[in-house]
Amino acid sequence: MRDEATRAEASTPVVSLRGISKTYASGRVHVEALSGVDLRIDRAELLAIMGPSGSGKTTLMEILGCLLQPTSGEYRFRGTPIQSIKPDGLARLRGEEIGFVFQSFNLLPRLTAVENVELPLSYRRIGRKERRSRALASLERVGLAERTRHLPSEMSGGERQRVAIARALVNAPSFILADEPTGNLDTRTGADIMALLHRLNDDGTTVVLVTHDLAVGDSAKRRLYIRDGRVQEHAPEEWGPR
Amino acid sequence: MNFAQIVRSALLTLQTQKLRTALTLFGMIWGTASVVFLLAWGLGLERMLESGFTRLGKNVVHAWPGKIGEDFTPAADRRELWFTPAEVEAVEKGVRNADLVLGESRGWYPVTYGSTLLTRDVRGVEPRHMHVRGTRIAAGRAITRADVGSRHRVAVLGDTARQKILGPEGRLGATIRILGTPFEVIGFFERVGTQLTRDADEIDEQVWIPITALHGIRPGRGADREVIDIVVLRARSRETYDDLKTEVRSILARQLGVSPDDEEAVIVMSPIENLKAMPIDQMRGMLFVLAVTTLGIGGIGILNMMLDSVQERRQEIGVRLAVGARRRDVVGQFFLETLVVTGVGGLVGLGLGVGLCALLGSLHAPDVIPLPILRAWIVWTALGVMTLVGVLSGLIPAWRAAGVDPSVTLRAE
Repeated sequence: MRDEATRAEASTPVVSLRGISKTYASGRVHVEALSGVDLRIDRAELLAIMGPSGSGKTTLMEILGCLLQPTSGEYRFRGTPIQSIKPDGLARLRGEEIGFVFQSFNLLPRLTAVENVELPLSYRRIGRKERRSRALASLERVGLAERTRHLPSEMSGGERQRVAIARALVNAPSFILADEPTGNLDTRTGADIMALLHRLNDDGTTVVLVTHDLAVGDSAKRRLYIRDGRVQEHAPEEWGPR
Repeated sequence: MNFAQIVRSALLTLQTQKLRTALTLFGMIWGTASVVFLLAWGLGLERMLESGFTRLGKNVVHAWPGKIGEDFTPAADRRELWFTPAEVEAVEKGVRNADLVLGESRGWYPVTYGSTLLTRDVRGVEPRHMHVRGTRIAAGRAITRADVGSRHRVAVLGDTARQKILGPEGRLGATIRILGTPFEVIGFFERVGTQLTRDADEIDEQVWIPITALHGIRPGRGADREVIDIVVLRARSRETYDDLKTEVRSILARQLGVSPDDEEAVIVMSPIENLKAMPIDQMRGMLFVLAVTTLGIGGIGILNMMLDSVQERRQEIGVRLAVGARRRDVVGQFFLETLVVTGVGGLVGLGLGVGLCALLGSLHAPDVIPLPILRAWIVWTALGVMTLVGVLSGLIPAWRAAGVDPSVTLRAE
């Protein structure tokens, strides 16, 4: 019985989107950012969603991260329809199952590195000592054990992104969403960050990279392309052969 | 987010823009100090007035004779009335709402000592007068029953009267002359203080002698000398003033053969009525409103600062929501931050207000100048109003913070 349950869980996709659309309305103007998106992301996948600016990839990432509700369509996270989850449940889902890595790091400037990493734990009724120990372990995992007491303003771009990744990892999420994770980094630091994300994926974490950087996209195991709000398996012709 | 982090975040908010913070906190400090000071000063003013109005004696009611009123007799027949010891005795026997009834004779008479000649308010009293007036002996002794019974020519002087009549070198045992008759000074009263209501001179200015001695030296003949100028009563409580007045007027009217409804024939008054006529409650209410308004303006400053803070920290709110914060966590954080900011300003203001009250309260000012009186309820009230202002100032920023859309703020970055 237990083996069957484990197999069923393993076969359930982490993310399942069916006919997802998102329309932004401003007065009488309606802009369709996503249109009829179908997508399945399985456990331990490393997927790159690529597209130019304005293609709808950030909207897609926000829907995947439960920060935004789609206008229509069905989104299931590990088999559970997102629309059926109440706001508090979505907050818990974001805190426990999803890790965010942003292009601009989005660290809180008033908090030290370790306090930034502790942030997701602070909303989960975890004791202070355990919070601190898990945050330090997470920082150590990204190679920042020596910089725990520094403020973001005292760190380099690469270090800040590592702190952001440590924050995304601290709750041991099953799903990491990285939006242009190397966008603000130099090539070498970007490569380090990508190596880190690959290692996480190797450990079984599902990683979705949202990027317009071909090099980043090419490093993923699977690539999807988004253009004018529609997702396709193959790169548009103007991108050349992939 | 634990409380220590919220406190730190609030303090960082205060540090963000020092001038804005200084102006905002000044409003809060000034407002809270105003609540403490104005409430304490209002209490001091009330006590000062009460004290001033009751220096003539606590719960004292005076009854004195007048003329028969026009409504009760033809104008040509309006005769002067007067009391005798018989009236005092009748009141003493008949009255239920007073525990002391005394007759007092008085007059402005020349008092001489050495080369000093002054016209003084001389009171013919008996020993119980001291209980009614609340006077205490500073030196020497009081007038006794024996003094009254034997018409001893002895005098007790008020504090100011002592200085004016005897001068700085005046001693007990000195002989003064009242209406040319020698009296031995046997005692001095403690200083009573400024009376906001009085009949003739203040007690500090008076010369007290046995009532029988006064009757003996007064101008006039026989029974005319024994006229009682005023009946002094001490009410059992302030609540029974009205009943006592009706009772006394009724007894005295019956004694004098006039109508009990004739308020001109028998005049009954109480100093406390003057106090009751003062709009003290309205004035204290106005001070409270003024103080709360001042604190409210301070609260508006905090509200504005926290709204700015929410605007400046939209990205932070977005990040918090993205990493698992619920809307109510964000509401709670900004609400608590506002309370901490309010608390910082409020507690400094509270300290300032308490310190100012303590400083002024320790001054030796004239007794007609109200000084703040600090009480625990004033501090609690200030804390309560401060908390209320903090809560009201925190609601709008917290509500704004909860409305932040993380997808918008994170994308803006």
